[in-house]
Amino acid sequence: MTTIAPARATAPEAVPPRPPTRILRNTALTAATVVALAAFWSIDIQWSRLTSLPGEVVRYLGLMFSTPSWDKLPEALRQTLRSVEMAWLGTVLGILLSFPLSFLAARGYGPAPVRAGLRGLFSLIRAVPEIIIAIIILSVTGLTPLTGALALAVNSVGTLGKWGYESVEGVDPGPVEAVRAAGGSTVEALRWGVWPSAATDFFSFWLYRFEINVRASAVLGLIGVGGIGDMLTSYTQYREWPTVGVLLIVVVIVTMLIDAVSGMVRRRLTDGSRER
Amino acid sequence: MIPTTTTPPTAGPRTSYLDVPPRPAGRWKPWAALAVVVLLTAATLGPWAIGFDADAIARNWRNGADRILKLLSPDWSFFPRTVEPMLETLQMAVVATVVGAAVSLPVSLWAARPTNPNVWTRGAVRCALNVVRAVPELLYVAVLVAMVGVGALPGVIALVLFNTGIIVKMVSETVDGSDRGPLEAGRAAGGTQSQINRTIALPDMLPSFVNQTLYVLELNVRASAVLGLVGAGGLGLLVDAVRTYYRYDQLSLIILEILVAVLVIDLVSSIVRRRLV
Amino acid sequence: MTVAPQQVTSRSWPVRVRDVTVRYPGGVTALDGVTLDIEAGEMVSIVGLSGSGKSTLVRTINGLVPVTSGSVVVGEHTLSTLSGRQARAVRGSIGMIFQGFNLAKRTTVLNNVLVGRLAHTPTWRTLLGAYTAADKQIAFEALDRVGILEKTWHRASALSGGQQQRVAIARALTQEPRIVLADEPVASLDPPSAHAVMGDLRRINTELGITVLTNLHLLDLAREYGTRMIGLRAGKVVYDGPAATASDAVFEEIYGRSIRQQDVLGG
Repeated sequence: MTTIAPARATAPEAVPPRPPTRILRNTALTAATVVALAAFWSIDIQWSRLTSLPGEVVRYLGLMFSTPSWDKLPEALRQTLRSVEMAWLGTVLGILLSFPLSFLAARGYGPAPVRAGLRGLFSLIRAVPEIIIAIIILSVTGLTPLTGALALAVNSVGTLGKWGYESVEGVDPGPVEAVRAAGGSTVEALRWGVWPSAATDFFSFWLYRFEINVRASAVLGLIGVGGIGDMLTSYTQYREWPTVGVLLIVVVIVTMLIDAVSGMVRRRLTDGSRER
Repeated sequence: MIPTTTTPPTAGPRTSYLDVPPRPAGRWKPWAALAVVVLLTAATLGPWAIGFDADAIARNWRNGADRILKLLSPDWSFFPRTVEPMLETLQMAVVATVVGAAVSLPVSLWAARPTNPNVWTRGAVRCALNVVRAVPELLYVAVLVAMVGVGALPGVIALVLFNTGIIVKMVSETVDGSDRGPLEAGRAAGGTQSQINRTIALPDMLPSFVNQTLYVLELNVRASAVLGLVGAGGLGLLVDAVRTYYRYDQLSLIILEILVAVLVIDLVSSIVRRRLV
Repeated sequence: MTVAPQQVTSRSWPVRVRDVTVRYPGGVTALDGVTLDIEAGEMVSIVGLSGSGKSTLVRTINGLVPVTSGSVVVGEHTLSTLSGRQARAVRGSIGMIFQGFNLAKRTTVLNNVLVGRLAHTPTWRTLLGAYTAADKQIAFEALDRVGILEKTWHRASALSGGQQQRVAIARALTQEPRIVLADEPVASLDPPSAHAVMGDLRRINTELGITVLTNLHLLDLAREYGTRMIGLRAGKVVYDGPAATASDAVFEEIYGRSIRQQDVLGG
């Protein structure tokens, strides 16, 4: 540590060590570049159509927003409320289902086979888009908002379950050990060792999933389960742009509002846990 | 040994001589929050809102269950017809990820406080992104199909918007939370903001950026599998067809293929992530 | 980069601080009417407790903190009159070393040291990462001077604290500075590394003739490594004189309290 380079009045040319070769990194970069280039080269897109896009965007923005049909506003709000209800119910059901499962799936709490099974289930669910889940469920529940809510619930279980067990596993093992040392059972260790430090994580996951579900619920309308997506699909098909404009405005404002409220709640929760 | 005369300390009324500080106020708050959640949920279940029609479910149950059981026996003969749409889905996902990442890299730096001290441009970038993020990707496609016609192009544009929203949000938050010291060193050395961003901020945010890009690639495979429902090409077109005829055995094969694609990407990205830290 | 010491001396800059007051937006007065003359080639220790204004003082000298009133002249440049571009050029000639090293931890030592060339490099070259061979050679010389040339291709985060601070010194040297400022350069280091880093700073001063200003709160380091010592208390200069002979009483005057164990590094 204390070796000091010899002082020199005139330093000779410093000869740096040879740069490392980094074969692995370069191979990975090359592979990624090849895949990207192949995708660009082979995809069936006439890129020349992009040149007309800016003009079209301006034209359609004009169509949508120059004279929005505000008379559709009440209906839009009603359908948006329906979408938000779907998102809410889907989130609550998702929480109820995923909450116990995420503890069972955490290393050190659930039996190994259960753990593996649950983790597999979570990744399976996460791989399937919510629309496809809705398509499956609707054969039982029909084209109703309930289908939408259930689809969102199932999809939420995939993400909430994963985030949940990751958070449980990431908890500082000290308090858990303390509860165990005091003779606590596994459930007691979870309640008094894990939950106090994981709770904030869980709350913010739930809020974040709600934000995701609000967006997803708007999409689910596309297959006809109701909500703002339903309206958007039909009015885009009829090419009634002034109405589509109103719908987009409503979607954007409502989504941003919900994001803001949820972000505020989350900040209060995380700040509160830090003060204590 | 002196016989011990002290009884072990026990809880209960015996401790009443202790000066226990009063419970802090505000302990009702979590319960109030829970009550609000329960009430709101009950309200959404009412017949005036989403409703819960047990009769209809009972009626549909038998024939619905039959269809769902079909999921367990995928129609393998359907495979050849899925190859091309699957490829298109992957192409869309990759192209959108590349373009989205390329756009997001500078925008992330503009959207973060340490790398863009200008309040106005930063605010404008963030505001625009919030609007972009508030529109679900399928709704972009629905409108874009009208603008540029059906095919992969509207899907790719929608995914690019969607990706940029996600990457910029996550990466700029990382930059916001990062140590300002190294950037100060860049300023002290007389660098311009863009030089500092390139030489100091960029290497530090790169792992987070690559991470989000890989995550977005996975999301894109999943999303581009359904964009076809509104006319954007890829597997979604098939999904639309099989759902009309309730061919859940074919749907099952499609789901399997998406699953395999997502799992492969997941595997590759977890390897990259492990090397990245 | 084979410049004889006496030539370098003529290239190093003096610092003239005239009645400088710095008041932060929160209302805190960090510097209160400070006047100092530091000649080219001096090795100065600035001593004071945390909050005494010594961090602010070095940051007014490279213009990172604007003065509320008064003037700072480095070399021939009056900082408050400079445009943004001129200010960056001046900063390019003033190296700075920080308590927390402030390296970009995830990139190589070389890339960190090349940050010292920012003010001398066109932006497009920086954006492409295309430094000239001459710039790289300056970086290698600097790394060689602080004895960690063999770490050139390592990630900064893989180095020990003392080595990281030497990378930071190399970064400052790569600027080919006329002044080097150091803000508590050894406060995060163990005693042997601290002495090594202080030794490096002294050699920069004696061999290259560069003006060096070092913020310290440890009295033995201030005595050993400075020729001149400036004491700050509550934003005012309360001592200005030779370092080696400054008695404990002088330090008690600067700190406004008696000397404690923590004011000495030892080692």
